[in-house]
Amino acid sequence: MELYHTLYITLLALFSLLLLICLIRAVKGPQVADRLMAVNMMGTMVMVMISVLALLLNEGYLVDICLIYAMISFLSVVVLSKVYIGIYEERMRKKNEEEGVSHDSH
Amino acid sequence: MTAIEWIRFLSGSLFLLIGIVIFFTELFGVFHFKYVLNRMHAAAMGDTLAISACLIGLMIFSGFNFTTLKLFLIIVFLWFASPVSSHVLARLETATNENLSEHCEIYEDVSDLERELAARKNGEPDKTVEDTKKKEAPVT
Repeated sequence: MELYHTLYITLLALFSLLLLICLIRAVKGPQVADRLMAVNMMGTMVMVMISVLALLLNEGYLVDICLIYAMISFLSVVVLSKVYIGIYEERMRKKNEEEGVSHDSH
Repeated sequence: MTAIEWIRFLSGSLFLLIGIVIFFTELFGVFHFKYVLNRMHAAAMGDTLAISACLIGLMIFSGFNFTTLKLFLIIVFLWFASPVSSHVLARLETATNENLSEHCEIYEDVSDLERELAARKNGEPDKTVEDTKKKEAPVT
């Protein structure tokens, strides 16, 4: 059992390192899609961490939380993409309207 | 520990090791590629393959109980969710990037792409879409 404990602790440490590297990508990413992709990757790694924690603490209900986390992470990516597409279209429409107004006045 | 327990521990550790190696590959790809649509290819690998390997290793550790079933449900859910989220991210990128043609070739119509692929198949690799359009312009 000591062996399993050591293995789980090592895994958690490794995944926290991977999460930090993902966070660097999210901060550096030049576009919105880069950041959203990094958030999606971080969600995947946190899912593995929660599952490892469930086995380490021997609490089965933590896996339920992991399932819910997967659903919320998927939902956040989809909703944020839709929101950013909407913001972009709104901005383009405003820009086009302003250009149209300036053309009429000249 | 008995022999069976050692086999269980080693096989579970092997699956976890495969998962971690794939996670590292994913991160390497994400930092190696220069554009989002290329990076997405590397990132989608971790969402399905790496987490499947890690969770199969944990399922072997967990034994035969309800936790194993729930871990399997997570894998099945991610198999459905990961392609959808990748698709949505790609749509976000193609819809909002104004100079997309700097990064990849864009075909306005699917028939252009099909024509070029057919030309490549017939052994004429240097025939571009513009050429075929110019040739067909007087006919129409």
